[in-house]
Formats: sequence, C-alpha cells, structure tokens
Amino acid sequence: MGNFFRGIIRASSFFRKEIFEVLRQPRLVATLVLGPFLILFIFGIGYRSQARTLRMLFVGQPNSTLAQEIQQNKQSMGAWLVYAGVTGDQKEALDRLNRGQVDVVIVEPKDAYNTIKNNQQAIFTLYHHEIDPVQASYITYFGQVYVNALNQLVLRSFAVQGQKDAANMHSSLQEAHQNVSAMRQAVQSGDEALAQQKQQGLSSNVDAVSLAVGVSLGLLDGMQQTQGVTGGNADPVQTTLTDLRQNTNQLNDSGSASKVDRLARIVKIDKDITDLDGKLAEFQSIDPSIIVSPFNSETKSIAPVQPSLSDFFAPAVLALLLQHLAVTFAALSIVRERNVGTMELFRVSPLSAAEALFGKYISYMLFGGVIAAILSALLAFALHVPMLGNWWYFALVIAAVLFTSLGIGFAISIVSQTDSQAVQYSMIILLASVFFSGFIMSLDTLLPPVRVISWLLPTTYGTLLLRDIALRGTDPNWLLLGSLAGIGLALMLISWRLMRRLISSSQ
Amino acid sequence: MTEASPSKPSQLLPDAIEDFVISAKHLTKKFAEETVVQDVSFDVPRASIFGFVGPSGSGKTTTIRLLTGVYTPTDGEAIVLDRNPANFSQGERARLGYMPQLFVLYPNLTVWENLNFAASLYGMGLFRGKRLKAALEFVELSEHRWKLARDISGGMLRRLSLAATLVHDPQLLFLDEPTAGIDPVLRRKFWDHFRELKNQGRTIFVTTQYVSEADNCDLVGVQNNGKLLLVDTPQGLRHHAYGGDMVDFRTSEPFEFKVEIMLRSLPFVRAKTVRTGPDSMRIIVDRASTATPELMEWAQQQNIRVKAVEEYTPSFEDVFVELVRPEVTNG
Repeated sequence: MGNFFRGIIRASSFFRKEIFEVLRQPRLVATLVLGPFLILFIFGIGYRSQARTLRMLFVGQPNSTLAQEIQQNKQSMGAWLVYAGVTGDQKEALDRLNRGQVDVVIVEPKDAYNTIKNNQQAIFTLYHHEIDPVQASYITYFGQVYVNALNQLVLRSFAVQGQKDAANMHSSLQEAHQNVSAMRQAVQSGDEALAQQKQQGLSSNVDAVSLAVGVSLGLLDGMQQTQGVTGGNADPVQTTLTDLRQNTNQLNDSGSASKVDRLARIVKIDKDITDLDGKLAEFQSIDPSIIVSPFNSETKSIAPVQPSLSDFFAPAVLALLLQHLAVTFAALSIVRERNVGTMELFRVSPLSAAEALFGKYISYMLFGGVIAAILSALLAFALHVPMLGNWWYFALVIAAVLFTSLGIGFAISIVSQTDSQAVQYSMIILLASVFFSGFIMSLDTLLPPVRVISWLLPTTYGTLLLRDIALRGTDPNWLLLGSLAGIGLALMLISWRLMRRLISSSQ
Repeated sequence: MTEASPSKPSQLLPDAIEDFVISAKHLTKKFAEETVVQDVSFDVPRASIFGFVGPSGSGKTTTIRLLTGVYTPTDGEAIVLDRNPANFSQGERARLGYMPQLFVLYPNLTVWENLNFAASLYGMGLFRGKRLKAALEFVELSEHRWKLARDISGGMLRRLSLAATLVHDPQLLFLDEPTAGIDPVLRRKFWDHFRELKNQGRTIFVTTQYVSEADNCDLVGVQNNGKLLLVDTPQGLRHHAYGGDMVDFRTSEPFEFKVEIMLRSLPFVRAKTVRTGPDSMRIIVDRASTATPELMEWAQQQNIRVKAVEEYTPSFEDVFVELVRPEVTNG
C-alpha cells in the first residue's frame, strides 16, 4: 500500500473519531441545531416593530393655550405617546419620573411669547430617566418630533388666520377692480380729476391688500418657491404685489406719461389684481395642514423583497453560529489531544501534522455542513425566511465560512495550553464578531481602521454574502468570497506550521 | 557497585554479536536545573526483552521518551533502528509500538473505536478487522468492545492500551509499565505473549515497577535517581547484587564456629557467609555450579554429614534492594 493511501487512512482516523465523539453528545447536537432556530423563532414572533410607547407628563399652566392644545390633540399624537396629564408642579412631575410612573416629562417654556418676540426660540425641556444610550437617543428624537408637531400646530393656526384674512381681502380687490375700470374710462375720456380720484382710491385699496396679505400669501409664496414653479401664473406673490403698488403710484405722474402708456399701465394693474385675486382664492382652497406641511415622503424599495427584521437577521445568525461552532470545536480539538496525552502517541506514530489537520478539517466541515443544512432548511421552510438566490452559492459561502472559522479555531487550539484558555479565546472571537461584523451595527458606523477587525472575521463576509444571496437573490460577491477563502487558506497554512511544530519537534 | 556499561551483557550474546536495535550513549535529560536522566548508556540487542526496572521517579518514562523521540536529550545520543529518533521517517515510526504509562485514548469512544483509531493511525489497511479482533481477544476485551472507554475499569484501559500498541504488529515495542493494574493471571499471559513476540524477532523495551517481572527479561537495566546502576541478565544481576552465587549449605548437626571459619577460607567461597540456622549457612561462591561438588567433597574430607547443598535464588525484590542499597546509603 502506497504512502499516499496510508496518509489517507491516517487522516480518516481523525475524521471518524471526531464524528463519533460529537455524535456521542446528542444533547450538544440538538442544542446546536434547535438553539439558534428557537432564538430566531421567538425573536420573530416576539419582536415589536413599533416604537416604544412613552408615558408623557406635561408641565405648564393647565389653563394655558398650549396645555389645552396638547390635551385636545392627545389622541392624534400617535400610539407611541400616552398622555399622562398636565401639572403645574415641575418637582412633582420629576418625582413621578424618578419613581418610573412616567417616561418623559415635558416642561413648557416660560414666557414663550416674549422669548420669540425677542428673536429667540422658546425651549421645551424634556426630562427622562434612561441610561440606555439608544433609548436616550430615542427620547431626544421624540423631543424633536414633538416640537416639530407643535411648530406645525402654531403654523397651522397662522394659516387658518391667513385664510380668514384672505376672505376679507377679496372685497378690497373687488373694489380695486371697480376703481381700475372707472380710472380707465376717465383716462380715455380725458377726465383727469376723476382719474386722479380713482387712482387714489386704487392706491388705498392696494395698501390695504398689502397690509393684510402678509403672512397668508407669504406662505403661498414660500410654497411656490419651494416647488420651483416658474412662468405663467406662477410669479411670486410678493413680486406681483410690488408691481401692483409701483404701477399704481406711477399713475400719479400724468404729466410725463402719454395716454397710451397710462392705459397700458392700467391694463397691467387690472391683470395683477385679477392675478392676486386668483391666488387668494387658490390659497383659501388649500387645507391649512397642507400649507404648513406641504411635503411628505413615501419610501419605495426596489429590492425584490422587503424582509422582516427576523428575516434580515437570519443569515447573520446563521453565519455567526457557524463561525462560533467551528471556532469552538476546532479550538478545543487540539488542546484536548494535548491534555488527554494523545499528542505523545502522535509524536511516536507515523502521523504527520498535515494528516491530523486534514482529518480534523474534513470532519468538522462535514459536521458543520450538516448543522448548516438543517438550520438553513428550518429557516427557509419553518420560519419562511426568503431564499431568492441559488442554494449552491449559499452552500459555497457556508463552506467558506466554516473553512475559515476552523482555521481560526485550530490556530487558537495550538497556542492554548488549557481548555478554558481555548474557550476564552473563542468567546473573544464571538464578542468581536457581535460588535464588529455588522451583526448589530452596520459596518459604516465604524471608523475605517476599526473595520480592519471586521474584515478579519468570517461572520462579516458570511453575513454580507448570505444576505445578498438569500434576500436580494444576487450571485455572491466573488471578491468577498475569494477574500474569505484566502484568509481561510492563510490560517490553514499557519495552523499546519504550528501543528507540525507541535507534533514533529521534540521537547 | 558495578558501573553500568554499554558493553555486551554477560550471558545473553556472544562477543561477536553487535546487532543492537537501541543504543543509548551517555543520555542525559535536564528540565530546567533538574537532571532527570543522567549519563545513561546501554544497548538493546535485536529480538530481546529489555527490562527497565526502577522505583517511581527514577527516570524510566523520560528514558523511553528520549528513545522514542518525544524528548530531545540534553546531552548524549540515542540510536534507535540505526537512526536518531528525532529524525525518524514515517516508515520508521510505523515500525514502533508505544504504550504510554497512562491511558491516552478517548473516553467517549468504544473499545473497538479506540482500537480502530490506533490501527488507522499506523496506516493499517481497510481489512484490518481480523487483527483488531485478535488484539482484543488477546487482551480479553472482546466482550467489552462496544463499551465506551470511560465505562471500563482501569485494568481494562491498560489492556486496551496494550492492544492498541500491538495491533499494527510493530518491530520494536516501547512499553511503559504495561502490567500496572493488571491481575496476576493476565500479567502472566502478557509476559508469555511478550516472549512469543520476542521469539518472532520483535524487540521489547519494557519498564516495570514490579521488580519480580525482571526475571522475564533477557536483560535488565536497574535505574535509580536518574542513573542507570547496572545492565545485565537477571542471573547476572543477582551475581552482582551479592558478589557471587548463593548456595545453601545444611548439615545434620549444628555447626561449630571453627567449621564456619574453615568454610570462609575455602578458595571458591567469598568472604561473605550468613548463618541461616544452627545447622545451616548461606555461602556466596564464585559459581554455584562448580562450587556445589567442591563443597560436598570438602565436607566429606572434614567428616561433616551434609544434609543438602543447593543453589539459592534470591527474589528479585531482594536483588533490587541489594543493588539500590549503596545508592540510598550514599544519597
């Protein structure tokens, strides 16, 4: 029998041994398969996609307009806010917050009217009792949303008032129309005294409109400008008003202007008045809520599916679990041989480092592959996680994750002196993977130098590749897959060198 | 005390034969400042059983590890199968069988699986089932082959270890206390098998704490405190221990003191004699085979009625104590 076949037999001894040893621990196998499945299952059914509900207590004068406004609108503040009442006693409110009876205390700004009049923003203060930075950020975000809502309420009341004013302006504009018609006739007939009189009447009509139009048409103007509408009837309101006033005043100058010019100016004034009246009518027809908040957004994804949160996490959980499984098994594998004493037997036997390592790689790859297959099937068919891509590519990525993770595990195992040391190293790898692999936080949130750690972890590659295949239905990113396999190969060579030193060299 | 020497043992081999499978020359092993094996030299002829006897901690296991290449000597050298053990090829390693002092197989595997693993480790072919069965039968573990190793007794584990060492039919066996924890009947069986292996041309290097087992060896090395005190045949060791052969001389009547003085002055009698009773004496002679007729003749001349003159074979425990005593005294 050739040396090659003897080598295969020697490697196969480890293959069988490792498989038997694992199968002798059925509870371990069951835990490895069912554990992550149950975690994802419970997460899937137990996760609430809504924001957290906050119990809000308002501190302010109970009779104040704002307090009444909040009370009136408490139903429309969304499911995430539970109105807990209004109190004038800030200390009592903070005590309740401290006792956990409410989640947020919002204190009304003192003398808001004068503060705003003095060209300063009036500040609402939000008190909370959170130590969790994520929850604290949520409350800060909630504060901004809340103040925006309040600002909109204020603006809406302005808009409503503006629409009421616009109704009054309509009569002034009708009067201006009549004055323009009379003036045109007076100029045509050469009745300068009447023309003068009507011009003065028109001038006072324009002044009245200018005074009243302020806020109302300013809002409309702002809306037009934001939309970037130009031409036709879309002249800014303020420009129309300025033109109107200018033309009206210039009509006074009867000496320097010819009759034709004056008549042309009167036609222009008439047109501007009609235009302004039309815009006022338009302004009145718009809902005040639309005026103060003319834009909203609507998100549409071009991704083939919109996975749920548990669907999104499923590939990452699979990658993380397989990495942890492979690292831990491999990390304990060689250190145990050393502790049991078999390493001494190996040194005397014809076994080579490559044969031992090859046998172990194959056995753990097979074992990990079976676990991955069962888990993937459970995810796809029991939890209905979408699988849009090619199953063979999926399997290829899993094989690469297992291969590289085993390399990490074997390297750990060879440098560890005890079981607990190997487990500690494995746990550090797991912890690093949770934080740096994009499992919880996107890689973009990490500084580029820190991302080096991310790109050393198989979970990082596994998560990205498996998500792309399963949830986007794309082919794997070959550069990523190649890099992962390259790291695995490098680790295998390192492990082989270390193992050779361990098995071959004498003490 | 006689110095250990790498020269040929007194009764085993003719002078011309120098076919040694193991040659240790001034082997020394130190761990930090502690010297565990000190200047040990010996040769092990092919197809022999070499017993390495010594108390616990005397450096027997370290010596085996030096010979198998697990340890590198701090000084001196070992040549095993014509090669430095550190440079063994895979083929040469396949000719070795090594049974460590402790059980080093896998508790979660069955007896059969453990043996199968050991056989695969030595590259035994796929049709090795027969040999596995034979090895298990030899160590009387066939009935227990499906039991997990963790569920069998300590003695069974030793037997499993031995089966794992023998399964690939090695040429040179290193057995570190193979009979520890084995019942006397099975121990006898083991030694019978070792002798059978020797007769088949295998060489066995075996350590033991059972000094009595040294009698089963062709050559015995006595190790104490890391030093090899002596290497010889069992008979040779007895000779060394007492300064000659021992003969029990018994008469029909009690001795007189002058008879004892006369006996001591005989040319083939060593000065050391021990009174074992009023009518008996243990005499140390050069050679028991020649001294016995001469003693009979002398007694006849002196009109001493002899009841018996017979060679006395001391137990190996006694021999060992006698050999180690000066070391202990000096220590």
